[in-house]
Amino acid sequence: MLKFQRNKLVSIFQEHPEELRIHGLLDDHIFGLEIDVVVGMDDLTIRAIDGKWNREETPECSRAIPFLQEAKDFRIDHQDLAQQINKVVSRKACPHFANLLLECCTAAQEAVRVIKWKAARSEQPELTFEAYVTGVETGAAEKKPAPPAPKKRHALKPLTKNVEKRPQDRAGGFVIDLHAHSFPASQCSSVSADELIQEAIRIQLDAICLTDHNHVWKAEDIKDLSQRRGFIVLRGNEITTDQGDMLVFGMHTPVEGIIKLSDLNKMVAEVDGFLIAAHPFRGFLVFNASQIGLTVEKAMQRSAYAQVHALEILNGKVTAEENRFAEKVAARLGLPATGGSDAHEISGVGKYATRFEHPIENERELVQALKSGRYEPYAFRKERGFR
Amino acid sequence: MTTLLCYSRNRSTSVEQVDDETLIATCTLQDTLTEAFVRIHIRFPELKILHAEGKFIRSGQDACIHAGAAFEKIKGVRIGAGMKKIIRGLTGEVTPCHELPLLIEEACHGVILAFTKDTLAKAPRGKTRSTEFFQKMVKENIRLYDRCAAFAPGSPLVAGLET
Repeated sequence: MLKFQRNKLVSIFQEHPEELRIHGLLDDHIFGLEIDVVVGMDDLTIRAIDGKWNREETPECSRAIPFLQEAKDFRIDHQDLAQQINKVVSRKACPHFANLLLECCTAAQEAVRVIKWKAARSEQPELTFEAYVTGVETGAAEKKPAPPAPKKRHALKPLTKNVEKRPQDRAGGFVIDLHAHSFPASQCSSVSADELIQEAIRIQLDAICLTDHNHVWKAEDIKDLSQRRGFIVLRGNEITTDQGDMLVFGMHTPVEGIIKLSDLNKMVAEVDGFLIAAHPFRGFLVFNASQIGLTVEKAMQRSAYAQVHALEILNGKVTAEENRFAEKVAARLGLPATGGSDAHEISGVGKYATRFEHPIENERELVQALKSGRYEPYAFRKERGFR
Repeated sequence: MTTLLCYSRNRSTSVEQVDDETLIATCTLQDTLTEAFVRIHIRFPELKILHAEGKFIRSGQDACIHAGAAFEKIKGVRIGAGMKKIIRGLTGEVTPCHELPLLIEEACHGVILAFTKDTLAKAPRGKTRSTEFFQKMVKENIRLYDRCAAFAPGSPLVAGLET
């Protein structure tokens, strides 16, 4: 039986040679919406945009309409168009308008190629579309828009705490935020490594681990960050595999693209590193577990868990229910459990962390401590009274 | 005056439940340049891609016609958060066809929307009760907070929620 259907229709026409008029319609079991877009043929930018709901999900979806104007001046041939639409239209307006706008823009890109091919064919009647496209792609020095300017960063004052001093055992354990992202190493982060560290110092974490996406920090850069801020900074890596994101410690080989978890497991084993399944149920329980028949017993059977050393059961970017579910799965599998904020902004730092029994000064000690299993996930901000 | 279309596109995604443990999601695309489909078999409860197949009957990009090997690559991928990056990465290893990952993503997204539909079916009628329903939904799925205009600060649907 049909459970869901979505239809999208895009129609493009030229009333005047200088512009394209695009009408998009999305209709599915949940939503009904339409947009009208005008694109200039000379610079391929969006000149005008309007939209309307035919059927809405929530009583407040109409708030999305004014934000569609923020897509004006987007170039439809920009290499980061999808990213721009997702960042601006999806986040500020609505993901479904963003989906339809992207559909309209990609169709408009193709329409422009067809129009240009037809124009070229008036001089070369034998020119096929494929030959035209190949010629444009190989010979062309089409003007590409400049990449966006890097974000401005505030300079930070140096602190006086001495990182060389060996940290002492303390009653509350040694607390490390094992999962944090910095810009520009992680493009999705809005905060620099310096700013992450400054916040970690302010809330009195004992150390922070930079785990940028598929990014290997240089040891000397980490050392420099530590010394400048007088704070213990460690390095890890969050690597996307065919089985989801994995936190890796003690391995500094760059990994490009999507790697198979089994291959990553071998690479980590070769260097005696440590592998943690990050946010194992992120987004998985948006619908009720009962809807998809997910039980702890069934989740435990996932082969990926036989290839990791621990599960992250407190992650700052997932729901409480998803964290609780991960906790149950880790407990039943007998796997160690960690916590990390997954911070991409200052306010997230230290939301969750991992509490170790003894102080840790460097990466080698971190991997040893992780292998010991003597640690626990820790709701740091809540427990220490920070908002 | 007649204004003829210079380009048209029709993309349709459907999700069918074939038994208690299996969904089939299909995305078909027909436009001025391309005619293609992908069909994905998904198993509960992991929402794991068991099998994927598809075909480009017409395409403006020659590579798409020969993109069949990419379907093998996505077997075992789980549908859920982060899937887009994984699908693009895996298919990108074997084909430069840019339409293929879009078809796969649309089919996978349809699966998520199919479950969303089941949740929304429980939303009560009437603005007040419906607002309460969505307030509870955002509270339980805090990731939704500030993810769109309806759930942005200032909307009644997130009244009382902290960032």
